Amino acid sequence: MSATEATADDRPVVDEHRSQWRQTWSILVSNRMALFGLVVLGLLVVAALLGELLAPHGANAQGFEFYAAPSLDHPFGTDNLGRDVFSRVLIGARTSLQVGAVSVGISLVAGTLLGLVAGYRGGWLDAVLMRSMDVLFAFPIVLLAIAIVAVLGPSITNAMIAIGVAFTPIFARVVRGSVLSVREEVFVRAVRSLGASDVRIVLRHILPNVAAPIIVQTSLSFAFAILTEAALSFLGVGVQPPTPAWGLMLQEGRGVIDLAWWMGLFPGLAIFLTVMAFNVVGDGLRDALDPKQRSIIESRGQGVDA
Amino acid sequence: MSDPVLSVRDLHVRFGSKRGVAHVVRGVSYDLHAGETLALVGESGSGKSVSTLALTKLIPMPPGRIDGEVHFGGRELVAMSEAELRSIRGNDIGFVFQDPMTSLNPVHPIGRQLTEGMRHHLGLSASAARDRAVELLSLVGIPDAANRLDAYPHQFSGGMRQRVVIAIGLSCEPKVLIADEATTALDVTTQAQIVDLVERLQEELGLAVVWITHDLGVVAGIADRVMVMYAGEIVEEADVDDLYGSPRHPYTVGLLGSLPVLGADEPGELTTIHGLPPDPTAMPPGCAFHPRCEFRDDDRCRDEHPPLRDADDAGDGHRVRSFYEVPADVREAASTSSQVAEAPPNAGDPLPAEASEGDR
Amino acid sequence: MSAVTNATDPGAAGSGRDDVLVDVQDLQVHFPVHGNGVLRRRVGSVKAVDGVSFQVRRGETLGLVGESGCGKTTTGLALLRLVEPTGGRVVFDGTDVGSLGRGELRSLRRRMAMIFQDPYASLDPRMSIGASVEEALRIHGLHGDRRDQRVAELLETVGLNPDYASRYPHEFSGGQRQRVGIARALAVEPDFIVCDEPIAALDVSIQAQVMNLLRELQRELDLTYLFIAHDLAAVQHISDRIAVMYLGRIVEVADRRAVYDEPSHPYTRALLSAIPVPHPGRERGRQRILLHGELPTPQDPPSGCNFRTRCPEVFEPCDRVDPTLQACTGEEHRCACHLYGVEGVEVEPSHHPDARGVAGRP
Repeated sequence: MSATEATADDRPVVDEHRSQWRQTWSILVSNRMALFGLVVLGLLVVAALLGELLAPHGANAQGFEFYAAPSLDHPFGTDNLGRDVFSRVLIGARTSLQVGAVSVGISLVAGTLLGLVAGYRGGWLDAVLMRSMDVLFAFPIVLLAIAIVAVLGPSITNAMIAIGVAFTPIFARVVRGSVLSVREEVFVRAVRSLGASDVRIVLRHILPNVAAPIIVQTSLSFAFAILTEAALSFLGVGVQPPTPAWGLMLQEGRGVIDLAWWMGLFPGLAIFLTVMAFNVVGDGLRDALDPKQRSIIESRGQGVDA
Repeated sequence: MSDPVLSVRDLHVRFGSKRGVAHVVRGVSYDLHAGETLALVGESGSGKSVSTLALTKLIPMPPGRIDGEVHFGGRELVAMSEAELRSIRGNDIGFVFQDPMTSLNPVHPIGRQLTEGMRHHLGLSASAARDRAVELLSLVGIPDAANRLDAYPHQFSGGMRQRVVIAIGLSCEPKVLIADEATTALDVTTQAQIVDLVERLQEELGLAVVWITHDLGVVAGIADRVMVMYAGEIVEEADVDDLYGSPRHPYTVGLLGSLPVLGADEPGELTTIHGLPPDPTAMPPGCAFHPRCEFRDDDRCRDEHPPLRDADDAGDGHRVRSFYEVPADVREAASTSSQVAEAPPNAGDPLPAEASEGDR
Repeated sequence: MSAVTNATDPGAAGSGRDDVLVDVQDLQVHFPVHGNGVLRRRVGSVKAVDGVSFQVRRGETLGLVGESGCGKTTTGLALLRLVEPTGGRVVFDGTDVGSLGRGELRSLRRRMAMIFQDPYASLDPRMSIGASVEEALRIHGLHGDRRDQRVAELLETVGLNPDYASRYPHEFSGGQRQRVGIARALAVEPDFIVCDEPIAALDVSIQAQVMNLLRELQRELDLTYLFIAHDLAAVQHISDRIAVMYLGRIVEVADRRAVYDEPSHPYTRALLSAIPVPHPGRERGRQRILLHGELPTPQDPPSGCNFRTRCPEVFEPCDRVDPTLQACTGEEHRCACHLYGVEGVEVEPSHHPDARGVAGRP
């Protein structure tokens, strides 16, 4: 055969031509738990965006009966100030998601950057960066967040910064670990042999190939961030009243649990559902992005025999 | 000829997959006699490994399905229960796989892995099994065997590990040894040692060996009979001299022609086979090789499935699965006998004078 | 920055100095070995490449053959400084590669390309094959306005349909992927390509396709190859000259015919005799030279001649004189063995643990 003309040999072996992300998506939604999580998350996002419009009452609208038990008018009852708990839970979704998004965003960017630099450069820089991450990691996350809030003062913004800083080492570690293995891949060496610069190698080749663990970690961290926010608010160093936030509402309901159990139960359930949704989606993503899983599916497609 | 040790009749293996049923072994039949070496040659995806794994049902089922008959020692294996098969695997039929690192368990010393099968299958006591393990290790050429029983796989080199794997394959005195790409992961000088070892053991123990490989050079040295597999079928079967001297199937001719020949004078273009093997979930209706065949490709090739038939004017048992045979002049050019240069001068040559005078 | 070499090199072939494209002089790559202690002190080094000298002439293919662990791949990587040499020099077309700064090195990599063994591992799985090839152009700012067109041309050159440029590596077979690897190497329009086991991962009939392609491209584009492989038959098919490596050293260099007709180093002889030939009659009649013992570890090579622990011809000077490459059957045929006259560097003899008789202890 001649090298200078295209021949019949060049048709791809795998017929279906699908992008990697669509393949990931189809594996993800075929997982029932993950699908359930995705639905819950979808509802949450709707609540966060349109909470005020959907809620039957304002978040801080008062004037109802105090401590009213759940009824048709107030499906989750009312609280100590006569506010509708259902409306507050619905509107509180925004706070929770906002805290999750901002704090995970901070740790995602900072941790990925640190992890990329430490993993790719190696040597003393790696040692210094990762030892400082270890120190940060050694503090219990809530304690660290309290310390940061103690310095900056209690507010939702500071709570988000605190959670973001506290989560950074997790991302840094995950990214560094993945970078260390991807860095040794032959294709990285191949691109280097073409004369590619370090920046190009890191951004175009290493980053996309460590995306999978980062995505999984992001979804799991979202759950933890929401929990941490709830804990901080519960301790009084996070969201300040009267903002509707699930952790804060839980804290308010704690003292009156025998009088009005609904004040604590429903925000608690909301936290539980959200955290679980993020976790099952994270687990589903882990499976869907796992190259082993994918190769099993691919080999099913390509036939057998070695 | 005596009764065969192993007799395979119309063996089929299918795997269910999302894209349909992959028919990876399609009606393989052969007899294997004591002391004989049968080589199974083919490229990746030809079904050569699966067809031998399926003999003792060593494939995942489901998704796999095996049909046909495998007769061994007066019994039929395909219909046999898993428990009965376990008493045959490793006992009457031994296996040596390609990668010596993954076929040994890294967390157990090799002595334990060697004695396990003997104690289970042969009911030997711990000390008797140990004695026999030392014997086996010496047999496969591992020096200082008694002291190395407690060593772990990683403490051995690749060649030594493959010797251990062969010792395990032989430990229960099997009648049939199946070597699946047993030397592919090894260097040529190590490969030469292992091939030499298997030949010697075969002579001493009267083993029947099925040697699965893609390396036509190794086959030429070790095999008595050769079967060429393509797309799950035997496409050509012959004594080793007939196969290399007068190949008939276009695929065999193509394979032989694509080998660079050591010591060739003026290296020309190598023959290539264009295209790719067919998708096992969608086999072409006629001859499985016809889409790639450069020799002949007519309506009959496209529509009719060729049977495995005796080749024209050929040696005993030379069979080919095609309607048309490659004509003598073409196969003459492709057969390796015409291309191999004169005997390699390296072996047995006198060395320069200094050497023999030197102080050895 | 450029250093023209006039250095006389004991291992270099005598003639044709002008058309030398790559001149490797006493190349060494030693990898440090660290202990397990807290301080991870350096306890030794693996001498992966230990004093290798050879020249590649413009337009030729030099085959570099040897078994796993002999340092052939590391040698190839060190030529492009994909691993840093710890000693010696690599002079490419008059330029000392070792003296280049990062930027200069990157532009040199336009002229030296590499093809890797595993075509799947050497392509970024998350990039379409077209993007992989285009990236090579982008890095060097080539064909700015008509890159897509150039990518299509390159794919066609290696026998792939340009319509499939947007497909991903996993959609192709091994042979097709290796063609992509070759297209990418060609994209930078190099003079010199290091082919590191480019056919080892492929099926036999596909190997032939890739070798034919490489030869055809060489003729058309005037390329110079260093063809690294363990398969001597393939190396001999494609090469003009062949260098045989053993344990970090070159033990023999000769014309492709001479290696087969007059193998001079005992290791080359053993290697040749071990290669199975697809000819049953020949195979049966063959006397193999079986090497005993194991390959010594490159962390602690034997004194004197590297090969002496396994050599069937070992005699008195082998453990105390480190042989240099010397002319044996002709000026162009060089061999590092005392059988052709004791020539080399005197060293302290050692009782090497891998020496015969005590071979194979754990």
